[in-house]
Amino acid sequence: MVNYIIRRVLYMIVTVFFISIIAFILINLPPGSALDAQIQRLRQQGGDISMQQINDLKERYGLNDPVYVQYLKWIGGAIHGDFGQSFTYNAPVGELIWSRIAVSVILSLFALIFAWVVAIPVGVYSATHRYTVPDYIVTVIQFVGIAIPEFLLALLLLVFAATVLHMDAGGLNSQQFQNAPWSWAKLMDTIKHIWIPVIVIGAGSTAWLTRVMRANLLDVLNYQYVQTARAKGLKENVVIWKHAVRNALHPLIMSLGTALPTLISGEVIVSIVLNIPSDGPLFLASLQTKDMYLAITFVLLQSVLLVVGNLLADFLLAWADPRVRLE
Amino acid sequence: MAETIPSAQSTEIRPTGEDNVIEVLDLHVHFFTTLGVVRALNGVTFKIPRGRVLGVVGESGSGKSVTGFSIMQLVQHPGKIVKGQILLKARKDDQPINILKYDRHSQQMRNIRGNEVGMIFQEPMTSLNPSYTVGNQIQEAILLHQTPDKDEAWRRTVDILRRVGMPNPERIARSYPHELSGGMRQRAMIAMALSCTPSLLIADEPTTALDVTTEAQILDLMRELQKDIGMSIMFITHNMGVVAQMCDEVVVMYLGRIVERASVEEIFYDPKHPYTVALLRSIPRIGLSKGEKLEVIKGGVPDSYSTVTGCPFHPRCPNFMPGICDKVMPAETPIEGNPHHTVRCHLYPGSAAEAEVETSGLAPGTAPAAS
Ligand SMILES: Nc1ncnc2c1ncn2[C@@H]1O[C@H](COP(=O)(O)OP(=O)(O)O)[C@@H](O)[C@H]1O
Ligand SMILES: [Mg+2]
Repeated sequence: MVNYIIRRVLYMIVTVFFISIIAFILINLPPGSALDAQIQRLRQQGGDISMQQINDLKERYGLNDPVYVQYLKWIGGAIHGDFGQSFTYNAPVGELIWSRIAVSVILSLFALIFAWVVAIPVGVYSATHRYTVPDYIVTVIQFVGIAIPEFLLALLLLVFAATVLHMDAGGLNSQQFQNAPWSWAKLMDTIKHIWIPVIVIGAGSTAWLTRVMRANLLDVLNYQYVQTARAKGLKENVVIWKHAVRNALHPLIMSLGTALPTLISGEVIVSIVLNIPSDGPLFLASLQTKDMYLAITFVLLQSVLLVVGNLLADFLLAWADPRVRLE
Repeated sequence: MAETIPSAQSTEIRPTGEDNVIEVLDLHVHFFTTLGVVRALNGVTFKIPRGRVLGVVGESGSGKSVTGFSIMQLVQHPGKIVKGQILLKARKDDQPINILKYDRHSQQMRNIRGNEVGMIFQEPMTSLNPSYTVGNQIQEAILLHQTPDKDEAWRRTVDILRRVGMPNPERIARSYPHELSGGMRQRAMIAMALSCTPSLLIADEPTTALDVTTEAQILDLMRELQKDIGMSIMFITHNMGVVAQMCDEVVVMYLGRIVERASVEEIFYDPKHPYTVALLRSIPRIGLSKGEKLEVIKGGVPDSYSTVTGCPFHPRCPNFMPGICDKVMPAETPIEGNPHHTVRCHLYPGSAAEAEVETSGLAPGTAPAAS
């Protein structure tokens, strides 16, 4: 077991390392850099920039080195938590990123919890009431949930919140708390706002998980051991929840591994539409402006989340299914 | 979902005065599928005397499992018990009760399942839940019916595992099903079914999936436990060889009807129904010379949506008599001089006397009888 964990962690480190190399190369492929854009801007502001100044800037950001040296310098810093400088914001990447990553992770976790808490009971109900009217209704809602674009759902909820609930929707906080330090009142205010992005981000996976849950449970209900449980004299509720659902969860747990990064990248549009200070919009902007170190740090962190998510999912699966051995 | 239709009570058949653990009277089960109605059981009547083993034999699809599940009221959707009575007399001095009066989800019905009537299935590989230990699953039944005390229930779990011949029962109790072999799992299933000392055990092809050596061990074990506990067994199988080892009495089923019933000796030495004869011919025998072919019953079981007129076996019967077998449904008739041996076949006098002409038509939208 300990051996297994050590091996997995080593694999994870190697994986992330390779991803970072490939991402670094890819981001460097298109011509030009954020520096060029910055020079452009300085020129427009009137100042004439000499070659000397440009070279100074390049030197400062290490752009004169060959790519592999740039990479080594960056990864060397990254290991110590120094992710380099953002060209466009003229600030250390780490400073820009942490609060936003935190918001993203919190949003995604809530969306994940929301999806599971809704999908499991609804999926179970749907499967145990197959071909009844409620099952059909659930099915229709599911397809809408999968098909509806997130920005549209976000807009609909905004309108709903504004007109029906009369709240100042959008963003994670009301005006007066926007820049306030964290406090009890601000926390409550956040909770009042967070449900909209959570629903929007979670809607697609909720619908999908409901579908998966229903299909799996229908499969499991055909297994002999479900009849065995009934033949013991157990209540139908116990048969369903203890004996069937438990075995129908495995594919859901396996999907957890990929859920976290998907959710995090899935909230880009939502965050833009809802004006939420998460990492999505910043990531998008960094790609547009070729803000190299910012972009690559995002890629790195997302791959870390992916491998960690996978490891957690494997542990959960081993815990849920005794036939799975970790070795 | 499948409540019995009220008419089940209207045609009450009086129970006999004998000491039978279970009496099934004129049981009809239909499956209401989207393709039409499947008449899985068409008036099945039998009884199992206390402490005896009844063999239920017949090809696959003849309704053996549905009969077993009916006794538990666990016939699966879209199946419904549409008519009949099932009288349970759990103990010698009890009054027989018609369990079909109870709703299938009722407390009374749940008290019968696992407690008065136990059941084991064909597939030991899938009949235990892979997510729980063997002990947990047995203990669950004991906690439900016998004692609320967890430690006591666990002690009994280990006891019953020892009783079914498990080496190191403490360890087995803490094992998961996938850690056991097929034979071990079937022992565990038997332990579970017997954990509450039921008065009737329904064994649905319990050894079909096992190899011959393991099968022999499991059959020995069941025989031994049956004698010790004094329970009755409804032993479902399509294997006549197993019947010879296990059973006291036999009913032969074909397409949802009992076509012959007799003691095990008479079934083997004096079979009457051509179908029984054919089933017996299909057992591999020691002494069968190499070149000799094992007989198979010609034709297949007709598709289940259609109703054959006359005797349901006539399209495959070697003794087919045109004009009668394909027109008139034979009635159940006792063999001359032996009221306990009955047969449904026109070869035997008296069978057409009170015969019903089968009029129940084809289910809508289905092909006529297969040949
Ligand atoms: N779920 C079901 N849906 C439709 N028909 C069924 C279903 N289960 C059983 N039947 C019908 O009942 C008949 C008897 O089945 P069964 O009792 O399982 O036969 P066996 O003698 O092999 O145990 C089958 O031929 C089939 O037509
Ligand atoms: Mg069967």
